[in-house]
Amino acid sequence: MIELKNISKSYRTDTIETLALQHMTMSVPSGEFLSIMGPSGCGKSTLLNIMGLIDEPTEGTMTLAGKEIAGYNGAQMARFRNEQLGFIFQSFHLINDLSVVDNVELPLLYRKVGGKERRRLALEALARVGLSNRAKHFPNQLSGGQKQRVAIARAIVGRPNIILADEPTGNLDSQMGDEIMEILLKLNSEIGTTIVMVTHDERMAKKTHRLVRLSDGERVS
Amino acid sequence: MITHLVRLMWNKRRANALILLEILLAFLVLFGVYAFGFYNLDRFSSPLGFSYENSVGLRLNLPEDMDSASTVSMQKRIRDEILLVSGVEQATFIGSINPFSGNMYFNGNDDNGYELRTQGFFADEHFAETMNLELREGRWFDETDVTSKYIPVLVNGALMDEFYPAANSLVDSILIIEGEKKIIGVVENFKYRSNFSENAPLTFFPTRSRDVTKYPFQMMIIRASSGRTAAIEEPIYNLVRDITKNTDVVIWNMADDRIKANKPVVVPLVVLTLISTFLLINIALGLFGVLFTQINRRRAEIGLRKAMGATPAQITTQFVLEVLLVATAALLLGVFFAVQVPILELTSIPAKFFYFGIVAAIITILLIVFLCASIPSRQAAGLQPADVLHED
Repeated sequence: MIELKNISKSYRTDTIETLALQHMTMSVPSGEFLSIMGPSGCGKSTLLNIMGLIDEPTEGTMTLAGKEIAGYNGAQMARFRNEQLGFIFQSFHLINDLSVVDNVELPLLYRKVGGKERRRLALEALARVGLSNRAKHFPNQLSGGQKQRVAIARAIVGRPNIILADEPTGNLDSQMGDEIMEILLKLNSEIGTTIVMVTHDERMAKKTHRLVRLSDGERVS
Repeated sequence: MITHLVRLMWNKRRANALILLEILLAFLVLFGVYAFGFYNLDRFSSPLGFSYENSVGLRLNLPEDMDSASTVSMQKRIRDEILLVSGVEQATFIGSINPFSGNMYFNGNDDNGYELRTQGFFADEHFAETMNLELREGRWFDETDVTSKYIPVLVNGALMDEFYPAANSLVDSILIIEGEKKIIGVVENFKYRSNFSENAPLTFFPTRSRDVTKYPFQMMIIRASSGRTAAIEEPIYNLVRDITKNTDVVIWNMADDRIKANKPVVVPLVVLTLISTFLLINIALGLFGVLFTQINRRRAEIGLRKAMGATPAQITTQFVLEVLLVATAALLLGVFFAVQVPILELTSIPAKFFYFGIVAAIITILLIVFLCASIPSRQAAGLQPADVLHED
């Protein structure tokens, strides 16, 4: 599902070049739930951003869902992100001025799905994460765990093949974190969605199929 | 997308209330200025109906205690001698009202008893030629009128159009204003008060229709050949002073008088235009500021939308549409208030100018809003999700 070959990423200022990722090669088969761990600044989020096409590698090639990404222009990458990828962030990134159901509809908006169908799919996604009764609420009326469930509903509403989760339980207490992890595991097992999750929590990582550890921009295990 | 944005903007209505109010007020001011401007532009563009260029006005003082024959004789002598001055082409005596100054109204009725109100203007038989009046029909006063049964009058086209819209001709019709008068002609236009005055109904009366001992017509208009108005002033002054034995002779340039007569409209129009311009600049800067602030506050949202598949063009469109939606709401509210002016006939200005004003104000506001929203929106579209999504 995801193939990275010799991916490197460096950030350059006038005086310093920082290597965030060095010659990363890895493969994530379809249906796998992969977790990535490592100390802060080791390149986990950079790797996830590159997989999510919201950052570009300095060198190397990548294949996502069987498609070679090199040479995609901005519009093609936007379309690919919309159709193939779902994102979950540590700080949820919900739009506070939109209701829960409107937040969930967001990816479908850019897929030009009709209003009624958008609403149906969004309610379906909310039901899957157990938040049907909160559809009309606004994010600031929800707990942290509920916000992350809304974010998961938003990530799955477009039925993407890959979900990229950047520390999805990082801002939650352990009980809420477990609930979120249960939902992700269920998505992976029931629908077969490929999930790549960055985490600092060893306990959460152990629940996934495979763990990749990074250090200083390199894969160490 | 529009439904989504409408919902978003509705949910942010409190945050947008001030900008909505600002646009609403700007619309109302612009609407007023445009309506006033269009109305006066329309008046300005309608013909005066006479030539004022190369003409001077003259006010003299005839000796008192002259009988009517002596008065007429002296007036004739003054005119004849003025015509002999080098550079003078034509001269005419008029009543106490002269072009670009003063007005006089009469109430009367036609021979069917239909009431009418008209401006009055007294002039002699040389007036039409001096002022280059254009006649729609009939003729100007001449020597034969002295012996006619009725006092002759001419009316202007505005009087004919307003009070006799179905008439093919008014010549030989009877008009009752201070006694029966017979219409001998219709002057196409005569908008004598200023370029911005209304082309209102007007009747020309011959100077001979009044007792010259009571109303000794002491004003003249003298037309010079091109570029000679300044040159004729001194010889005419000397000549009139010598004939009337009176130094109280005033000569003025009619072109200067026209500018003075236009000032009561031009000055407020310029002031209002300046105020509107500053208002628009203020709105433009306000919108810029609000949008830049909003974009800074919504960086994560922009990153999120791009991560969800929004293209830079869609981000630009979203922010432009958001502001346009607020502007549209303000404009709808503004139009509701603005249309009350013509519907309730709150002023004498014809309704069409208010509707033109509404359309022009809408176009101006939308254009400014669009231009002001475009730059910050493009900036928003350029944000990289990888940068902004990890700022929290």
